[in-house]
Amino acid sequence: MRLNATTNMPLNRLPESKPDLKKDKQDVVIPAIEMTDLCKVYSGETPVNALHNANLEVHDNEFFTLLGPSGCGKSTLLRLIAGFETVTSGNLKLFGEELSALPPEKRPINTVFQHYSLFPHMTVLENVAFGLRRQGKSERDAKMTAKEMLDLVQLDQYAQRYPKQLSGGQQQRVALARALAPHPRVLLLDEPLSALDLKLRQSMRVELKRLQRETSITFVFVTHDQEEALAMSDRIAVLSNGRIQQVSDPATIYEHPENRFVADFIGDANFFDAKIDKVDGEFTRYRLSTGDILLGPTTEARSEGAEVSIFFRPEKATVSLDLTGGLRGRVKDILYLGDSTEYRIYLADQSEISLKAENLKDGSPLAEVGTDVAVSVDPNAIRVLSR
Amino acid sequence: MKKNDRDIRWLPGLSWLTALFFLFLYTPLLVLVVFSFNASRSTTVWSGFSLEWYHKAFTNDAIRVATQNSVIIATLAAILATTIATSAALALARNKRMKGKQAFHGAMLLPLMIPEIVTAVATLIFFSTIGLGLGLGNIILAHTVFCIPFAYLPIKARLESMDENLEMAARDLYADKWATLRFVTLPLVMPGIISGAMLAFIISLDDFIITLMLAQAGSTTLPIYIYSFVRVGITPEINAVSTILIGFSVIVVSVSAFLGRKTAS
Repeated sequence: MRLNATTNMPLNRLPESKPDLKKDKQDVVIPAIEMTDLCKVYSGETPVNALHNANLEVHDNEFFTLLGPSGCGKSTLLRLIAGFETVTSGNLKLFGEELSALPPEKRPINTVFQHYSLFPHMTVLENVAFGLRRQGKSERDAKMTAKEMLDLVQLDQYAQRYPKQLSGGQQQRVALARALAPHPRVLLLDEPLSALDLKLRQSMRVELKRLQRETSITFVFVTHDQEEALAMSDRIAVLSNGRIQQVSDPATIYEHPENRFVADFIGDANFFDAKIDKVDGEFTRYRLSTGDILLGPTTEARSEGAEVSIFFRPEKATVSLDLTGGLRGRVKDILYLGDSTEYRIYLADQSEISLKAENLKDGSPLAEVGTDVAVSVDPNAIRVLSR
Repeated sequence: MKKNDRDIRWLPGLSWLTALFFLFLYTPLLVLVVFSFNASRSTTVWSGFSLEWYHKAFTNDAIRVATQNSVIIATLAAILATTIATSAALALARNKRMKGKQAFHGAMLLPLMIPEIVTAVATLIFFSTIGLGLGLGNIILAHTVFCIPFAYLPIKARLESMDENLEMAARDLYADKWATLRFVTLPLVMPGIISGAMLAFIISLDDFIITLMLAQAGSTTLPIYIYSFVRVGITPEINAVSTILIGFSVIVVSVSAFLGRKTAS
């Protein structure tokens, strides 16, 4: 059976799925997870400060993503929530109750591990029933619920197999079923898609999103893949060097990053050092280090002469052979990407920028390598950051 | 790199040397086994096939008692040694911040490097000083001690090859430490434990020096009996007993090695 062929099928209903309580008590919203000044220091010869004063709220019934490069603290955060690491200082609450003192088995939180970590000596059914059995359910009830969970991830016919006999994608689904079976209040997913190939990864994105909606369980998803994070999340927390950089919905993260790290890590960006030349109502003239003037939005609390950093996304700019306006440059490289074409352009000071044009027609390039072009950007697409 | 560059077969005379090596290693055993089926009393001249010596060995009361002693000692020593070795392996493998871990590990394996005669004498002196007179119990205690490192090694190897995330997954799924040990760790380490136990059993069964020092009247083991018998004169009866012992050892060690190999996969 091809796994990715099944993802378009409607999912079966989750057994015993709880009614959505959220709507009834809109006035008192208790966050699913709430951390205040959460710190984690790994002791050792050289103590590692893995997490600095994290303050974060994850809402109930939310698909929340922790995004960042490796070593940014996202896995530490996940392990703190799961209980595999002890909190150094700060508070960690689950629906208002302090978690820090509870061992992992006492937390109504389950994890989908990066490498699935299925028990190799148990059948698929026994794996899925494990958490239910340990919760004190009878063998009959546990197996029945486990079967329903396998049904939910469309693996019911593999119940009697051993994990080794399944493909990576199937093991992934078993791991999901196993973690969802005991009805956790929060499901943690530790880069669960990183070991799958591209096609399967894409279909699993849809599947995970659907499972989250279907089960109304809060998902906390850890990834370093920005595309994955943008595609699936209700909200994203971007982490770097053990600090939370920004928490917002995907569009805000992409369109209005709060600092250079977020702007750089999510998507591509062309950065310039600039000085505010003249504030003129809604728009401001920015003088770039290249000497060019770029019109951008006026930001609060920045006066003329202030040094700022400005950037725009490659797809927000257009390249034109008409040299009357915009930034002047010369085409250095043209990369044909199928759905779009990327132009790498040298500016006057030899700095390089990139811009992307969608291939709406036949994809033949707008300019040749070596030709002089003008790059123009809609002033509303320019973003200004403090330097 | 070409495959042939690393192939040892280019060495001249390798196959002859190998053949000689195995001949040297196994001819004495082969002779012993063959003459256990000899029809005459000689252990050097072949005079026809017979199972007479096996019959004699099986009906010999002294051999029966010695075998019984050996099996009792080996079984109990293996069980005790394996239990202790398993606990030690778990403690050392699952304790990341333990101080002096290497020292503990070394102390576990040191008995392997101490000459057996030294251990034997030390044990004898120790037991007589404290006046321990448990008969077979003395031997079981002594065997347990020197079997521990043998049981420890395969268990440790298995534990180290096991994915620790599995234990984490069990804890995540509401299993407390005991349930995790019972339902996840122990079942997965079991091949290593069985392998270790079998190794300990064989080491105890074959032991001679320590047993010789500690054996009192009535606690003679099979190796001691064979030794005392040989001093009187070699008969094919000894060959028969030895052949059975070889066969038994080969079976146990094979099973142990087979289970040990599963560790790698």
